Amino acid sequence: MDILDLSSAVLLIIGAAFFLAGTVGLLRFPDVYTRLHALAKADNLGLGFTVLGLVLQAPGVAAGLKLILVWLLALAASATLSFLIARRAFAKGISPWKPEEHEL
Amino acid sequence: MTDLYLILAVFLLINLLAALWRIARGPTPADRLLAALLFGTMGVAVLLLLAYAGGGQTLVDVALVFALLAVITGAAFVRRVWGRESNGHS
Amino acid sequence: MIFDLLLVAALLWSAVRVLTTPDLFRAVVLFIVFGLLMALAWARLDAPDIALAEAAIGAGLTGALLLDAVAHLHKKRQEQSP
Repeated sequence: MDILDLSSAVLLIIGAAFFLAGTVGLLRFPDVYTRLHALAKADNLGLGFTVLGLVLQAPGVAAGLKLILVWLLALAASATLSFLIARRAFAKGISPWKPEEHEL
Repeated sequence: MTDLYLILAVFLLINLLAALWRIARGPTPADRLLAALLFGTMGVAVLLLLAYAGGGQTLVDVALVFALLAVITGAAFVRRVWGRESNGHS
Repeated sequence: MIFDLLLVAALLWSAVRVLTTPDLFRAVVLFIVFGLLMALAWARLDAPDIALAEAAIGAGLTGALLLDAVAHLHKKRQEQSP
């Protein structure tokens, strides 16, 4: 267990934690916009840390670059889709969720 | 390291099963589709982990196709199904 | 081993739900999910080429086409009903 394996394991576990946060957010958040926010965390950071942890284990430069290419593609896809869905939801008149007002 | 990859893959698969619940329940169509997109991303992560747990580098190509496919499905959904005029669906 | 059992359970559950769901759009989303899980199963069975075909054709293109068909059906139904 050298330093490379150790840092790779730490990065992978951080990525899995972000995926868990994304799933919990998808299950618990109240409306479409907040769920989009949770999904973006899982897409960008979860997959990003997973890819970063695996790049350290990659057998060659080409394999590592391909992993990073997968991440960049997922980034572009998630950003585009989040924008499209949020814009269409707003155009349909779904109002963003607001916390219930506390009367003090 | 291989054990850690497999444990994390099982962990992500359990997350996927939890997301199935949102697909079954989700109040609006967009919620169901968001869960399907989360499936796509987590599928990419699981495939990458499996590729480095002894599945071979070809699985990275499958992961690339997974990431590409999410865009097609989502764009078809937003453009055609969830249109501005069809309100009877939400 | 746990991975395979969970995968099989999710596959069976989503397959049953696709066939028994009355709402068409929900069935299409479940079909896409079924395709993704099936691709994972093929990858697990050491068949990456079939996994590639399943992910591209089974889940991606068929999913988009079915979504399009559902949209057409809804439009036609809305034109006929009023």
